[in-house]
Parts: sequence; C-alpha cells; structure tokens
Amino acid sequence: MNTQTVSPREQRQKDRFISKASQTAAKYLRRMEELSGAPESMVPFFRVLRDIYVDGKDVSREDGVKTVGTYCVMAPHELIYAAGAIPVKLCSGSYTAFSIGDDLAPRDACPLVKAVAGFQQIGVMPLYDNCALMVLPITCDCKKKLAGYLAERCEVCTLQIPVSKEDEDIEQYVRELYQFLGVLEETTGNRVTYDSLADAMKKTGYAQFELSRFLRLKKSLPYLLRGTHIMAMMNAASYMPADEWGRQLHLVNRELEQRISRNETVTRRQLPRILLTGSPIIFPNIKIPLLIEEMCGILAADETCMGERGMSDPVVPVDQSFDGLMRSLAIRATRPCSCPTFADNRQRIFRLKQMIRDYQIEGVIYHVLRGCLVYDFEYRQIEEALGELGIPVIRLESDYNEEDVEQLRIRIEAFIELIKLKKPPEVRRTERDYYG
Amino acid sequence: MKQAKKIWLTAGVCAAMFALAWFAWRLPFFEFSEEYSAEQVGSFLSLKYLKNLLPLILILLLSSLGILICIGVRKRIIRKDPAFGRFFEARTGSGGKKVPGQRKLGFMTVRWAAMLGASFLMIFGGTALNLRFAEVSLPIFSCPVNTEQMTESSCYYLAHLNDLFELPLKDILLFFGTTIGFALLLGRVICGFLCPMGLLQDVVHGIRQKARVEGVAMTDKMYAALTPVKWMMVFLLLGLSFLGGNFCNFCPLVAVSPILAGIQTSLYFSGFFMIFALIGSFFKRRFFCLICPLGVLLGLLHRITPFRIKKDCTACTECGACYEACPMGIKQIYTEREKTDVTDMNCILCGECIRKCPEDNALAMTFAGKKIYTASRKQVMSGYHAEGRKQDRRRGGSV
Repeated sequence: MNTQTVSPREQRQKDRFISKASQTAAKYLRRMEELSGAPESMVPFFRVLRDIYVDGKDVSREDGVKTVGTYCVMAPHELIYAAGAIPVKLCSGSYTAFSIGDDLAPRDACPLVKAVAGFQQIGVMPLYDNCALMVLPITCDCKKKLAGYLAERCEVCTLQIPVSKEDEDIEQYVRELYQFLGVLEETTGNRVTYDSLADAMKKTGYAQFELSRFLRLKKSLPYLLRGTHIMAMMNAASYMPADEWGRQLHLVNRELEQRISRNETVTRRQLPRILLTGSPIIFPNIKIPLLIEEMCGILAADETCMGERGMSDPVVPVDQSFDGLMRSLAIRATRPCSCPTFADNRQRIFRLKQMIRDYQIEGVIYHVLRGCLVYDFEYRQIEEALGELGIPVIRLESDYNEEDVEQLRIRIEAFIELIKLKKPPEVRRTERDYYG
Repeated sequence: MKQAKKIWLTAGVCAAMFALAWFAWRLPFFEFSEEYSAEQVGSFLSLKYLKNLLPLILILLLSSLGILICIGVRKRIIRKDPAFGRFFEARTGSGGKKVPGQRKLGFMTVRWAAMLGASFLMIFGGTALNLRFAEVSLPIFSCPVNTEQMTESSCYYLAHLNDLFELPLKDILLFFGTTIGFALLLGRVICGFLCPMGLLQDVVHGIRQKARVEGVAMTDKMYAALTPVKWMMVFLLLGLSFLGGNFCNFCPLVAVSPILAGIQTSLYFSGFFMIFALIGSFFKRRFFCLICPLGVLLGLLHRITPFRIKKDCTACTECGACYEACPMGIKQIYTEREKTDVTDMNCILCGECIRKCPEDNALAMTFAGKKIYTASRKQVMSGYHAEGRKQDRRRGGSV
C-alpha cells in the first residue's frame, strides 16, 4: 500500500489526518499535564505519549529490532522479547482514526476496532505501519473480524482464547503459545532459547516488580496521586520496552516514597474516591478519567485492561524447565485474567470487591464503549454485587468522539455530588470499612 | 511399515516390562538373614555397611536408568510433534540464565531443615545419637524394620493389625494413644515436614529443577484417576495381613531407612516399587504421596488438626499459581470462593501454594488460629529486589 504513488488528494487527506490527530492528542496531553499533583519523574511517560501521538514517531529502538503489535493482554510480551523483537500494544483510542474506521466497520462495531482499522487504512502512523507482525488474541467478534481485515494488509497471527479455564483449556493454550512462538521465530529470524526466554521474563518481571511496589505505595496512602496520571503511565507502557518502563517507574516509586515520608498528597480535601472499570481506556480517549478528576473526584483505582489490570498479575514460574516457563506464561495470560471474554467471569466481582477494600472506594463508574457487548453484559451482575455492598455505580457509555463530553460531564458531576451527599459533611481522614 | 514399527515397539516394551516383572519376582534384592542388627555393622563406612548399602545403590542406579529412558522417549515425542518439534533444542537444552526466583531463606528453609532433621533422627537417631523412644509410635512412613530408628513407626502394626491385638493391652493403648495423638496434633504436617520418603522425593524433584528437565504437568483428570489407586493402597495396608499377605513385601519404604541404617533387609517387590516411585516423583513432585495409604489415614483427620490452610476468597484472583505449585494437585485451593478454610484431605501442608501465591494475604497457614505463614506479592517478587537496588546504584553514580 505504501509503495503506491500517493495522489495529491490522498496526500491532503493524510496531512489533514495527521494535523487533526496530533492536535487532539496534544490537547489531552496538555489537560493531563495541567492536572495538579503529577510526580516530576512522570515526565518521561508523557514524553513517550507525545512522541507517538503528537510527533508521529515510532517506538525508540536499536536498528534492526522489529516491533510486533499486540492487542489484548493475553498475548504474552515475554515471547516477543524472547524472539528478539519489541512488543507494542496497538489497541487505539484515536478519535481521528475512528472517524475513518467508521466507514470500514459496521455501525455497531466497537470504536476501538474502528480506530485500529482507520489507522491501518490511512497508513500514516509509523507505529502501525512498521509492525512486522500483529498478534490478535480472539477475545470478541470485533477482534476476530479485525484480524481478517488486518490480514489483508500485514502479517497477522491469531491466538485462540479458550472459553473457560479448565486444565484442558490451559493445555490447549500452551500449545497455542508454542505455535505463536514459531510464527515469531519466522518473523524475526531469531531462535528462541532457554536463555532468551529467561532474559525476556526477567525484563517483564522487573517491570511487574516495580509495578507491584507502585501499587503497594499507592495503597499505603490515599490521595497519593491521581488516577489520570496512572492511566498515562500505563498507556505509556504500550510504547516502551518493559525494562525501560520499569526503570522509569523505579524513579516514580522513589519520588512517591519521599512523598509518603513527607505525608504529601495531591489534595488536602476528602474527594470522593472512584473506581473505573469496564471497557479499556486508551490514550487519547482519556476523557472519562479527566472528567472525573476535573469534577473534583479522585480516580483511586481502575480495573481496565489497558490500566493496572493488564500488567499487575505476575508470572509465577513453578517449574524451571523451558516448558514450565511456557506453562506459567499461558496460565498467567488466562487464569487471573478477568476479561469478559471468558464465559464464567465471576472472579471479576471478587477483584472489584478487593479493590474497593484496598483503595477505600466510594463509587464505581462502569465504562462501556459503544458496541462493546461483553463488558455491557457483565454490568448487571456487577451492579447487583456492588449494590449488596452499598457502593453506588453508574454505567457510562461513550464513543470515540467529543460530542458526548458534556453529557458525560453532567452525569459524572451528578455522581460525584451523590457520593458527597452520602458522606458526613465533616471532613475527616478516616478509613471506612464497608464490611463492618 | 510404520504399523509394523509400532507393533515391534509395543512388543518390545511389553517384553521389557515382563523381564522387569520377572526380575522383580525372581530376584529379591536381598533376603532376610540372621545377622541383620545394626550393632554388628559396627561403624558407618565399614565394608559391611557398604555391602548392606548395595541394594539402595542398585535401586538408585536402576531409577536413574529409568529416568534417562523416560527423558529419551520424551525427546523423541517432542521432536516428532508438529507444534513443539521446532523448539526441541530450547526444550531439551538447558541455558545458563535463570528467571529471578524468590528469596531463599524463609518458610521453606524451616521445612527443609525439619525434613532433614527428622529424617536423620528417624534413620540414624538410634545408632548415632542413642535416642530411642520405642513406646512412641509416629504415623510416618519410615520403615520400622530399622530397629535403630528413634521412634516406632505406626505403619508396621497398621499393616499387621492381627499381630497388634496379640500384644499386651498397655502396648495397644500406647500404640493407639501415640499414633492418634500425633495424627491429631500434626496431621499431614508429618508428610510435609518429617517424612523421609517425602524428603527423598523432594530431593529427586530438586535435581530435576536444577537440570531443568521438564516434568509431567498433571491435569485434574489424571489426579482423579489416581484416587482409586490410593484407596486400594489403604485397603492393602489395613487388610492384607488378614488375607495372609504382608504389605511390607512391596512397601517401597523398606528400601530407604533400614538400608541407610546399615541393616540387611529383605527386599521382595519393594525395591522394584521404589524404582517406580522414584521415577514418578522425578517427573511429578511427590508422586508417591498421591497414593500413600498412611497419608490418607492422616488426611482423614484433616477437619480437626490445628495446622490449617486459610484463604481470603476476596483477595484471590484465581491465578492458579497455587494449584500449579501444589504437589498434591488440590484444585479447590484456587477455585474455592466461599469457605475460608481450604485444608483438604490431600493437603500435606508443605506451604508451596502460599510461597507461590502473589496476592497479599490470599493464602495463609495457621496453627491453632494463629497465622504462621502468609502469602504476599512482595515475597513472590523478592528475586527482583537486587535488580531494583542495581537501579538505585546506577542512578546514584550518574547523578
């Protein structure tokens, strides 16, 4: 596609796309940076997002190292590192690409898929165009058809995700991962050995180690930092090598430790603590976290796959053989994953309950991207479970455009007011116990 | 042609099995002889001790041979497999690097120390330290043929219940009192912390981990298939003596502690069984424990023993690391969503699930309600601390 000569009209279209997309990204970056309380050591994360979305750069890497695009959390990045490539998460939140993808996919397809298809169609993002391979775990119908669409334009490898998590399903997924590893070897031309896999697991493991420290610090002091900034950090992880991301996070952790020792928080007020769950929040579609925090709430935690959930579950190798490591990756990709693609996903309710307890959550916002059926399906169950705990919850449906911002603003504002009304007017710093 | 090859292979394997069975039946490794007490051995490392050690060495050699054959067959299967074949070298070769593990010192150190100490006492306690508590019967699979061991082992009279009731009443009461007392107090902690057979199996498993040979990943169906075997073993242990048989003739444990203690022992089927138990536990951790009859009897009391595994069902993310780590394949430890007590009949309280659990407080071992070992993310990821400190140093140098 890129080798064809571009007509002036197409070139104009591309230029318009680039300017529009980078303007939107720059605007949301600015809004995030303007929010108070970002640690100074967070700057590199913002810089990565700016490089990718505003300046249209590719992931920084050495010459000759290929990038492999992944969608969903079930594709183990360890395998990609082991094959000598760098993984990038390609799930997209671009409004501009969405408007192009709108013509490519049916009306009810989810905006995430439309945005990815749009990027692939317009072909101006080096991030997408330079991918040597794209890995699509088949987690929903939209992703399945997206795989077909992408396969016409680039190398695609699909991963069949089991419907349940029985022992046989895990065995099957281990097999699936071996096949994926074979495709990776062919793409990169490198051989995967025990050492390269162990090195790769060390890289991602270090990132997860720093993340676990980060989460522990975050739990230890409420209002330590803002959820929108955490979102930005998590989104930046998509475009940074894991070890580099871990190193940057290490600096953030050090800064947070200092903050804790000085008892320094982003706000002195007792803002309502909100948990965000549901469909993924991907930069630059960061309007909901921004609205929450601009409307004087605190996004205390998130349970979304582009946020904390995607990385927080560690790989726990039990058997030290090559096959044992592969098994631990397959298990990590499926068993703790609370993605609604699995038929029985009650574990998500427990995860939410635990997060409510850990982060003293006062309200839950359930985000549904229009057309994201699997998440929408689970709303009822979760509303019921949270109702028993007495935690208010609202369902926010949004699309990849800015037309619904005002409507979202009103609803979020009302929700935050509702939580404030339930609180005692006296501002006190006490931990609330919802299980008492 | 391929068909013929298969038939020949099958025939060959059958013939080999028959030969082994014949060998096991015809050639008792050693026969009981008059001069079997340890006093006559004199000292360890004497010629006689080494001569008595011979059957154990033979068993170890044959087990190693069996393990090597299994690895060879496995390699062949992997090489032929369409999906795994291309990773043949990666899977069978072992590299120098390793995935950062966990802090070495901790609960597991205590467990290994306990296993080593208990095994030493059970095997050499009588001879080396002159510790003998013959009145105490410990429900542990440490062969009582070794008359020099520290305490009596309950398994002998459990396997010979008809002999038990010919003893004086005082001895019967002592036997039941101490056996049931220890079973109530410790439960299957005996399996996880004291049993010499457990130690042997863990050592064999450790060798596999060091060599990075892949094991057999058992699924719940395979575990379920072993349950009838386990109950059959219980029946044989308790009932064989009434039918005129002797459980000791094929109990694999006869091949460990008496031989190590320097006692000449009769090994009929035992040595043969021991070879299989060793090969099994090389590829599947604590394989023999899955079918151990004494373990079942101890497990029957699992509802009232003070050592328990507790679970915080909300903290659990169902990541399955505990199930993967569990040598006994207890699945409900990760699927359980209501009960806080997940102690199972099969649980040997080895603590591996807690060690591998990445969620803070999700699993814990308690003694009489008091937590003695708790899961934490910090502990699971402790192998990366060094990496973090390296970052600090690098930063410190440059700034």
